[in-house]
Amino acid sequence: MESNRVPVRAGLWKEKAGPDGTPRLIGSECLDCEELFFPVQDSGICTFCQSRNLKETVFSRKGTIYSYTVVMQRPPVYYQGEVPYAIGFVELPEGIRIETLFVDCEFEDLRIGMEVEMVFRTLHTDTEGREVVTYMFRPVSAGGEGGPKA
Amino acid sequence: MSGTRDVMVAGVGLAPFNLYDGQKGRPLKDYFDLGAESILKALDDADLGWGDIQAAFCGNVYGGTASGHQAIEKIGQTGIPIVNVENACSSGSSAFRLAYQMVGAGIYDVVLAAGFETLPKGLLKSTAWPEWQRIMGFNVQPAAYAMNTVRYMQETGATEEDISRVTVKNRKNGALNPNARFRKPVTLEEVMASRMIAQPLRLLHACPLADGGAAVILCSRDRLKKTDKPVTVAASILTSGTYGHVYGGGSVKKKTPDTVQISVEQAYEASGYGPEDMDVVQAYDTMASGELWELEKMGFCPKGEAPRLMREGYFDLGGKLPVNTDGGLMSRGHPLGATSLAQIIEIYRQIRDEAGQRQVPGAKIGLAHAMGAGPNSAVVILKR
Repeated sequence: MESNRVPVRAGLWKEKAGPDGTPRLIGSECLDCEELFFPVQDSGICTFCQSRNLKETVFSRKGTIYSYTVVMQRPPVYYQGEVPYAIGFVELPEGIRIETLFVDCEFEDLRIGMEVEMVFRTLHTDTEGREVVTYMFRPVSAGGEGGPKA
Repeated sequence: MSGTRDVMVAGVGLAPFNLYDGQKGRPLKDYFDLGAESILKALDDADLGWGDIQAAFCGNVYGGTASGHQAIEKIGQTGIPIVNVENACSSGSSAFRLAYQMVGAGIYDVVLAAGFETLPKGLLKSTAWPEWQRIMGFNVQPAAYAMNTVRYMQETGATEEDISRVTVKNRKNGALNPNARFRKPVTLEEVMASRMIAQPLRLLHACPLADGGAAVILCSRDRLKKTDKPVTVAASILTSGTYGHVYGGGSVKKKTPDTVQISVEQAYEASGYGPEDMDVVQAYDTMASGELWELEKMGFCPKGEAPRLMREGYFDLGGKLPVNTDGGLMSRGHPLGATSLAQIIEIYRQIRDEAGQRQVPGAKIGLAHAMGAGPNSAVVILKR
């Protein structure tokens, strides 16, 4: 990531983690009970079985919409983007649901079960002039240029 | 709890829910004024003196440190233990449960549970989301409900009209409640035309804010002064944070049964009653759609049936199972610390035949259910 760009939070994704060399969301997997976590479980403890036997895992970049909404009013303080905006949960093939913003779509076209893929976008420019970058999801049918760049 | 003695409701009091902000001719009151007002009313209702109270549990969210002490200071400190209970929207029923346990276990004979709140204005700030999720705009409570609502509509075929009918029913009941903030009914058309907040939920699907106070005094059977139509606490249950149901913070794969399911099962088991025994119910309607799926989760009808029953008037005053007879959060408004005690107070008044125009004839057993961020699910069953 270029120096004038910063992730919304360090450690949500890893550069070149995908088999095609693209960035991927990362999390933790419990080697004892197979529980999954996003983001990486900083405590190092599986909160389901309390095992400390966790390893980092890489998530798929495609999934389906589990649920969604379009927020029509500005939330307090932190969010600086456009309003209305669409958020929801994407179910990944690994069986975990990730909360996300949706982009590159007409919000009224969003449907449960719609196939979506991860992309990276700038949320806003911070007070130090840096672009704050995050993962988002868009309909697979939106197409566009190849692999996502963080 | 097994091996404990009966716990009775000695008396109840409410400081009417409204705005106490000093604007537009409204009085200016703080949470401790409203707390003290409700406690004094409960003492009068119970025919007890302040010196009879042996311990106090006080529910409040936004008042800050020792908020219960501030309220009790208005009446007079007597050296009794005061414990402040912050458990989000279920703070009041959590305080109630602590009072219930103290009396049930025989540690004290007369215990106060109070709840009070004067609210910050606008959308409630929630600390449930970490900073990066707030930057991504996830920290909107109605949006979390909206996403559950979209799923519910997909799974059950419920429509926006079905959701809107919850508001219409509750606001109609609220018109009969002198303690409610909103006492004007709304039409289905008005609800459906109100401003969209988070699709498909609109302004009139959301409960309004309010300030208010509520107090319940619990006692052992031998200390009950008002002995006509005695009301017993048949169950008081709190379930917190079951795995896989936490909003905000991150995602996991596994899930266990949710807090509502567990808390009602425990309440039915503790009381020996089932959903079919309830004459009146106070359900948790912070958002209109929530009332539908929570009635289903509590076993009052099979999943997906609540919208049809709501349409047919089953949950109306005069219906088979009246729900939110005092107008619910939708009419009362939602002073966080007081809300869940106000629900319990409505059940108490109903089963004592004191609910006036909104009385459910012959009501003998009722259930109050509150949710809270965390999550928490609190269930209280009262019987006469």
